[in-house]
Amino acid sequence: MPPRWANRLLEWYCRPELLEEIQGDAHELYYREAKTSKRKADWKFIWNVIRFFRWRNIRKRQYQYVNYSIDMIQNIFKVAFRNFLRHPGHSFLNVIGLGVSFVVALLVGWWALHENSFDRFHENPEQIFEIKSHVNANGTIETYGAARFNINLAALPEVKSKTVLISGTRWPNELCFRPDGKSNECIYLFGIYAEQPFFSIFNFPIVSGNQNPLAEPTHIAISQKMANKLYGDENPIGKIIKIDDHYPVTIASVFKDVPSNSSLQFEFVLPWEVFAKMRGMQPEQFHNQFFPVYFRTSADATVEDLTAKLNSPSILTEDLKKDNVSYSAFALTDARLHGEFKNGKNTSGRIIYVQLFLLVAMLVVAMAVINFVNLTTARASNRAKEIGIRKVTGAQRGSIIFQFMGESFFVVFAAIILAVVTGYLLLPLFNQLVGDTILVTWKKPAVIGYIVLGMLIVAFLAGLYPALVMSRFQAAHVLKGNVVTRSAGAQHLRKILLVVQISFSVGIVIFTGVLFKQLDYIQHKNLGLNKDHIVHIEPTYKLLQKYNTLKAELLKNPQIKSVTATAADPTSINSTTTGVRWPGMTEGMNAPFNVLGATHEVADVFGLNLVDGRFFGENSLDSIHSEVVVSESAVKLMNLDNPLGTLIKIGDVECNIIGVIKDFHSASLKQAQLPIIVYRHPTLQCSRLYVRYEGETTTAISIINDAYKKAEPAFTMKYGFVDDAFAKMYKTETAASKMLMLFTAIAVIIALVGVIGLATYNVIKRKKEIGIKRVFGASSVQLLGLVSKDFVLLILLASAVGMPVAWYSASEWLSGYAYRIDMPWEIFALGFFAILSVTLCLISLQALKTIRTNPTEVLRSE
Amino acid sequence: MKGTYLGELEELVLLTVGILYPDAYGVAVMDELKQQASRDLNISAVHAVLTRLEEKGLLKSSMSDPTEERGGRRKRIFIITAAGKRALEEAQELRTQMYRQIPKVALQPIVVGY
Repeated sequence: MPPRWANRLLEWYCRPELLEEIQGDAHELYYREAKTSKRKADWKFIWNVIRFFRWRNIRKRQYQYVNYSIDMIQNIFKVAFRNFLRHPGHSFLNVIGLGVSFVVALLVGWWALHENSFDRFHENPEQIFEIKSHVNANGTIETYGAARFNINLAALPEVKSKTVLISGTRWPNELCFRPDGKSNECIYLFGIYAEQPFFSIFNFPIVSGNQNPLAEPTHIAISQKMANKLYGDENPIGKIIKIDDHYPVTIASVFKDVPSNSSLQFEFVLPWEVFAKMRGMQPEQFHNQFFPVYFRTSADATVEDLTAKLNSPSILTEDLKKDNVSYSAFALTDARLHGEFKNGKNTSGRIIYVQLFLLVAMLVVAMAVINFVNLTTARASNRAKEIGIRKVTGAQRGSIIFQFMGESFFVVFAAIILAVVTGYLLLPLFNQLVGDTILVTWKKPAVIGYIVLGMLIVAFLAGLYPALVMSRFQAAHVLKGNVVTRSAGAQHLRKILLVVQISFSVGIVIFTGVLFKQLDYIQHKNLGLNKDHIVHIEPTYKLLQKYNTLKAELLKNPQIKSVTATAADPTSINSTTTGVRWPGMTEGMNAPFNVLGATHEVADVFGLNLVDGRFFGENSLDSIHSEVVVSESAVKLMNLDNPLGTLIKIGDVECNIIGVIKDFHSASLKQAQLPIIVYRHPTLQCSRLYVRYEGETTTAISIINDAYKKAEPAFTMKYGFVDDAFAKMYKTETAASKMLMLFTAIAVIIALVGVIGLATYNVIKRKKEIGIKRVFGASSVQLLGLVSKDFVLLILLASAVGMPVAWYSASEWLSGYAYRIDMPWEIFALGFFAILSVTLCLISLQALKTIRTNPTEVLRSE
Repeated sequence: MKGTYLGELEELVLLTVGILYPDAYGVAVMDELKQQASRDLNISAVHAVLTRLEEKGLLKSSMSDPTEERGGRRKRIFIITAAGKRALEEAQELRTQMYRQIPKVALQPIVVGY
């Protein structure tokens, strides 16, 4: 016999009047071939079946005359609307269920579009690149968004223009500006320093004033918002601002506010010469230093190509090569979503969160659609008589399908309207949640297009199955009042759909649990230093000069415990150095260290634990060498048996190790701990002040503010908290976890609605069975067992699917952290039992209603 | 009747149907074509040509009596119509006529030598 499926396929597609001869020929050939080789004959038969699939041979759909007259359509609408109103609970569940899932999809969609639109508002955005430098330090490659100031990009003909772009979050990027006429108040604003081509590389349109403001080293360009803040409605052009109360610059231009989907955020742009002046350096002194560098090419260029050229000897100079530095080009349009580097390779970035949430949104919608299908088909018997009448009066299957598809469109449309309105109203809240301002442009055809397309697809999928099932009802059967017999296939489908829902719920609950556990672990991990109750103050130069008076003033108050000045934030020392030399070091070893410059009180403020030796005293005891304290892992790396008194070199400075401290986390927990060297730093060269306090935060702040005003009356104090700054390092994760939490709740609720729907249906179907069993003396518990047995099996099956997926994705996510929790099995168990118990609870509640009713009532009917 | 032009494959099939009279059906035509003209055609292609020729009115067909060998399925038997016979003759004539117009010299083998 030829392969059955191929034969069936032929019978399915072939025109009935041609089938006999075609099948006859095909079979004749098959049997002839089969005499020699059965396998070859099979293949040949399949091939022939495929080859016979020609337009001429295909069965055409028989033309059905469906009379879609206006009256009929009106009637369909009327009936749909009446049905909608007759079962308000059912309709409400349908519309709300779909609506909520659409809100999720809409918000996530907007957010994804927003994330995707980052840095694409520039002209030819794909022609803007950033230079990254990769430093190979002892085998691991660190990547920095910087290149040498005087990098010779002129050697590349395709580079049109380049600019250094000095950005940051603190002085000198955050400056105090004085509103007109006030000399002791500050408005702190962020800005950047750049070279002249800045405004031609990027698209930040200048609305008034000089179109090329950075050509003059005494100019400043400010945003409309900043102009408004400083001068109100007055024309700011030509006004003079004293930067740092020192360097006068003229406002040359006002540019349009930077949109929120720009990865560069700033309120003003200053020529980089001002930066040099503020640093007290000659411009030439900058030439060998590293700064962020951006450039624009004159035509499209690939990253690989540019990277290769950036590493040519004319650009990557010999001395850089010796220090194991290499350059690479990085597209600006990748900055937002693909900005993560691991060991010198561009790995991923925020994109994983965008993908994750798109997936979640899609699954939430899928779950709502499944509910819709289940709820609609479960109530099919309510409509059976109507369908029977329609068929008897001449409706064909096509028009019934049309009717039910129409109803599904009706519900989906209502849900979409509901979702768009709610989504739009919820957007500000959602913005808060993700910590961003999502730009929703209705003008973009893509948004409307996605919504309409999504609606069509969802309505089609949701309506198709119920329409096919209901249109199949036989008029003769249903009108005689026979209960609609349901095929085993429909039952299976229903169960499969429920398994999909539950497995997704189990998966997302567990994944969210793991994510929260890791974030909790980060928050509560012992970092090796204390980050609570520490205020960080942005110092001015004058304040640093008066450091000792300020400190004395502060310590007068018992609430203030200690004060220190440092050169970096100890919880995230962003600078690593490989320039450390020690006795017995292997030549060519390029070990990275985190170095922290600080005054002697740093150990007290941050609670650094001394293991050996001593910490800095108020004055240095070593008049020749600089005193340093190193961490235990630094001692281990340097392989020192007796570290105390050992002389090491940091750059050209001879240092004496006077103490050993416990390791602490000086960077995000995503990165492995580096060995640390703390050295004594002159107060005036420090850039941060830290104050540790006790008790009430608000009173502590007012004490600090008073002392600040005494020392620096002309400025407004700018402060923050160390634990906040620490939490900010995990901003993306935190925002993601909040979003995920919300969506998890929604997903679980939708799944539970599905469970209730199926449970109700099952119990109704088994009403008589339950009644008879009760008459024969079954107890409530036994009957509950009867109805919940199926569900327990389904949940087990769903967990078997959902858990491995959750495990895999959670461990993938966790692998991004150098310090992470072990896979928490208790969360798996908890998630499983939570879903199991909630489901069983709901089923029991439903079932009890039926079990409690007197069996005579159930059995009497009919 | 669709255009009178007869394609090369159509002509071959038409001839084969004539040769096989009165037993010309899909598989038989396919086999004959392979034997006589070394044309390896898929059965579906043969079917396509046969139906096309029937549409042009050069063939007509009727279903045979059921036989045992194809599981009781009938065959569609094709025979040449008068129009088909004429089309064959015309094609034949056209060829001979054109062949005659080739100058004798052109057909003589060219001898290259001293």
